[in-house]
Amino acid sequence: MEILGQLIVSGIAVGMIYGVIAFGYQLTFATSKTLNFGQGEALMLGSLVGWSLVAVTGYLLMLPIVLAFGLLQGAIVERLGVRQAIKTKSEAGWIMATIALGIIFRNLAENIWGRDALKFPSPLPEAPLSFAGINVLPMELAIVVGAIAMMVAVEVFNRRSIYGRAVVATAGDRDAAGLVGVNTSLVITFSYALSSLAAAFAGVLIAPVTLTGATMGGVLGLKGFAVAIIGGLSSGFGVVVGGLILGITENLTGFYLSTGYKDVPGLLLLLLVLSLKPSGLFGKAAIKKV
Amino acid sequence: MLANAFKTLALAALVVFPFAVSSPYYLHLLVVIMIYSVVTLGLDVVFGYTGEVSVGHAALFGIGAYTAGVLAFQLGIGFWWALPLGIVITAGFGALLALPALRVTGPYLAMVTLAFGTIVQILINEMTFLTEGPLGISLKRPVVFDWRPLADTLPFLKMSAKKMADVQFYYVVVIALVVTLVVISRLLASRYGRAFEALRDSPIACDCMGVSVYKHKVLAFVISAGFAGLGGVLFSYSELYIAPNNFGFDLSITFLLAVTMGGRKSRIGPIIGAAVVVFLPNLLADINMFRIAAGVVAVVAVAGGGIHMLRKPEQRARTAIPVALCLAFFVFAMFLERITDYKLTIFGMMILFVVFYLPNGIYGFLRAALPAGRTGGAVAGNEDAAWGTAAAASGGAALLQVDQILMQFGGLKALDRVDLSVRAGTVHGLIGPNGSGKSTMMNVLTGIYAPTAGGVKFLGQEVAGHTPSEIAGRGIARTFQNVQLFSELTLLENVMVGLQHSYSGSMADAALRTPRERREENAARDRAAGLLRFVGLDAVAHEEARNLPYGKQRLLEIARALALDPQLLLLDEPAAGLTAPDIQDLMRIIRKIRDHGITMVLIEHHMDVVMSVCDTVSVLDFGQKIAEGTPAVVQKDEKVLAAYLGGSHDTVAA
Amino acid sequence: MLSVQGLVAGYGRVKVLHGISLEVSEGQLVTLIGSNGAGKTTTLRALSGMIRPEAGRITLAGADITGLPSFQICRRGLAHSPEGRRVFANLPVADNLLLGAFTRLTGARPKGDVLRDRERMYELFPRLAERRAQYAGTLSGGEQQMLAMARALMLNPQVLLLDEPSMGLAPKLVEEVFSIIARLKREKVTMLLVEQFAAAALDVADFGYVMENGRLSVSGPAASLKTDPAVRAAYLGAAH
Repeated sequence: MEILGQLIVSGIAVGMIYGVIAFGYQLTFATSKTLNFGQGEALMLGSLVGWSLVAVTGYLLMLPIVLAFGLLQGAIVERLGVRQAIKTKSEAGWIMATIALGIIFRNLAENIWGRDALKFPSPLPEAPLSFAGINVLPMELAIVVGAIAMMVAVEVFNRRSIYGRAVVATAGDRDAAGLVGVNTSLVITFSYALSSLAAAFAGVLIAPVTLTGATMGGVLGLKGFAVAIIGGLSSGFGVVVGGLILGITENLTGFYLSTGYKDVPGLLLLLLVLSLKPSGLFGKAAIKKV
Repeated sequence: MLANAFKTLALAALVVFPFAVSSPYYLHLLVVIMIYSVVTLGLDVVFGYTGEVSVGHAALFGIGAYTAGVLAFQLGIGFWWALPLGIVITAGFGALLALPALRVTGPYLAMVTLAFGTIVQILINEMTFLTEGPLGISLKRPVVFDWRPLADTLPFLKMSAKKMADVQFYYVVVIALVVTLVVISRLLASRYGRAFEALRDSPIACDCMGVSVYKHKVLAFVISAGFAGLGGVLFSYSELYIAPNNFGFDLSITFLLAVTMGGRKSRIGPIIGAAVVVFLPNLLADINMFRIAAGVVAVVAVAGGGIHMLRKPEQRARTAIPVALCLAFFVFAMFLERITDYKLTIFGMMILFVVFYLPNGIYGFLRAALPAGRTGGAVAGNEDAAWGTAAAASGGAALLQVDQILMQFGGLKALDRVDLSVRAGTVHGLIGPNGSGKSTMMNVLTGIYAPTAGGVKFLGQEVAGHTPSEIAGRGIARTFQNVQLFSELTLLENVMVGLQHSYSGSMADAALRTPRERREENAARDRAAGLLRFVGLDAVAHEEARNLPYGKQRLLEIARALALDPQLLLLDEPAAGLTAPDIQDLMRIIRKIRDHGITMVLIEHHMDVVMSVCDTVSVLDFGQKIAEGTPAVVQKDEKVLAAYLGGSHDTVAA
Repeated sequence: MLSVQGLVAGYGRVKVLHGISLEVSEGQLVTLIGSNGAGKTTTLRALSGMIRPEAGRITLAGADITGLPSFQICRRGLAHSPEGRRVFANLPVADNLLLGAFTRLTGARPKGDVLRDRERMYELFPRLAERRAQYAGTLSGGEQQMLAMARALMLNPQVLLLDEPSMGLAPKLVEEVFSIIARLKREKVTMLLVEQFAAAALDVADFGYVMENGRLSVSGPAASLKTDPAVRAAYLGAAH
């Protein structure tokens, strides 16, 4: 029983990270029906930039710089890889272009930071806290709080500020948003920037718990996909539940089956959800127009 | 003619190659190119034709390879059994992926295949009891038959046992490639290929022609997976050693790059692409070769761009960008020192360049540079051959019975409890102001919308809520308000998509082009030609639909809909945007269709058309039926006048 | 205020407008009537930048706006209440109205008192006041239509384009919408009104253009068009 509890608790933290990545996919999918196949690389870059900074600036001062870096990186991805493909309505175009950018970012990171995993100093004590026999790392708590805080912040921005409402409006009806004076292609660039910011933030949250390195992005980006589909690409907080489901299932699989199989349930869940409810557990089916 | 000469020459070159070139290195290189070609040709079916992106073909390739490896290593089963099993098992995995992933449109297939690729690598690594994990599996090359005793009479057969095995395997791969080319060419030239292209141009029209988009997408993916499996089996026996990291994400991207770079939707393109990507690692391994290659690319780009600028000065700015990029790439190559470290960056930049500046690939680029090949041509159509047997209903009984249909979108009632009864053999007009619900009715009748409440009976059977392709299969055909043609197919092919139901042969018939397939194909071609003649388009039957003037596009849609042998034909604003002579033509055609016993529902705003061809007219307003009767009666109805001209309070009594 | 010369536009290869020229003077209510498929909506879409004109020249208050993207045209003071309402279904009514004033709130246009203007919209459309917290997607067709109009008015536009404000509305609501248009006219809002309900539109308008097959066939003061048999023929065909 204690083991089970332990597995669930540590699944929650990693699940929240998946949720944040999936949240990033949602942001761009809402405004442009496209997403960044190099999202994992955005996370990795954020984490490595943070690693380089943290020794100089300390963790807290590092955060805003990493977030700004994320914004910039996302905007670059949109300008180089997505904008033209949206114009020509080429789905293969943006998929391949964002994959290519991901490959380039990973390769550049390998050349800058090397291929080995790096230890990210934890800003919080590394001794676990114990609740009823269940150990929790302080950083794991920080992950949960940080992830929720970020999603809430974006949600508040979308609901309360006029610029946020412009983003929501663009997601609802791009043409109509243009008619009220919203520069919708700028909104799409912004949503990519925000999406990469989310990923970069997730990167510096998870790095102290795991390790960081140029190859960390791929698998995390994929898990984010799975969660985005499980929760629904169009359903705000569905990704939190989706992330928790995946994080916990993985931990259980890893323990009761074998750590090697840890990454398998993601795909199985993904296929299962697609077969049973393609719009995701919390998504709404879209009405097609002729 | 030229094409046939080229094919013969290419085949001859492949046959003599092993005896002309003694280096085993080049023999092996050519084998790998051919194996990659098998995969890329298969990938093109999905990626080029249906437009879906698969990022998991390396994993499928790996499944084929490991089927061969596991069979040999665990069970001692050799190459000849592995070949069919590898294809079948890989195709099975393909189905497993495609069935859920293609239910929704969007980037889902790409996401699922990407995840699949990762999982397959993990599973191969972890399931050591089957796959030996990271250790990998070694295989032995099969010998088909020992020809060394014959070397006394045929001296060119004199060679070592190893070389003989190499040469024989080379021929096996040549045969596999030829078979792949033949099968894929035939499939794509058959109704399956037409469906793959059609569903990409207009999925909604495709479904409404009874050709299920979902089914055909899955089919395309499964076929594609089968060829990836074939390639995988060949690969394992070509390398003689396979390990999990042979089949990673980068290889999937390499396949996609090969198809895009070579040129989608062609046979030669994926082969060119395969050759390029096989040479690529060699190129990226040697800095001097890489610099030379970058230099050549820059020279070609400057020359090609220069010619293009002279020909089309208005596109100067757009041409300049890729040329500048090529030059910049050359400068980058000159400065680059440790090339191996930046291999993947170069790879990624190549993808970006190809996607945005060479979207039709090398072959497409060459084809555009050469003078145009195919242009329109006529067919000899016989109108009498055009009509099927299904229709021929005569007046009286209700063919279509709409019962209290309610269609609600959020707070909006687009159709509010509407009844409609369409008698067989009549033309039933459906009119009303904008937003009155006519198009919604059309979409409910054809299954695009499932109504919120109420029922639709066609020939006494409930069809509301069925899928569009099921409803089309039962004999309801339609045209579209905003024309939905398969723009890259010819006129004849457009109509032939509608004739998909007239085939009884299987996919094997199509792949092998059996006598039955040929017979059915010819029959369909004749009927399509007849239908084109009926609407007066037989003179341009081999023109691509997108090159047709707007008015003719509407007529083509009618011919295509008639190909379904419908009992009920729904025409959604067929006269919109037509010129006056075109409209006369249209009315003549509508009357002729009725004379053949086909019932029609006609949505139209041109009142002249409605008044002169309709037997009965129903008027919708605010989603409700406000009047019904003969055209003359409806035209004088005060409520109808009010609905059209508005509540001008003094002239119209409500 | 708004002047159009020789406008040619369409969708891809299909040309819908074959050279349209029209004028809307300040404070005037001009209506564009004609049967369905005549090109009225396409005209408005070309004016507001939703589609790019192929030829012709559009000026707004003397400035050339031809070929600008819609958000820039909006920033110059042209509001468009589009066909099919196009309200932001995923936002509440109150936010839809705020977004109508997006350019004012972000400094691209004179700000004024946005919140007071929103209150004025609630006064003008009392149904919207009742539903201010409700998501726009849950409104009925008539309410959505009113919201689309109100959202466009929130711009304090120099010219307001109204595309079939009566579409799909019950007769009672149609009357209500037209009385609001009449009120706006009294307040000197410059409007270009596209309508299929010719009689009602001509009742309120100063001047009218009749559109047939992408061309303007008849034009004149609204009162004289009302009795013109050509107008009736354009709708229900000449045969009686």
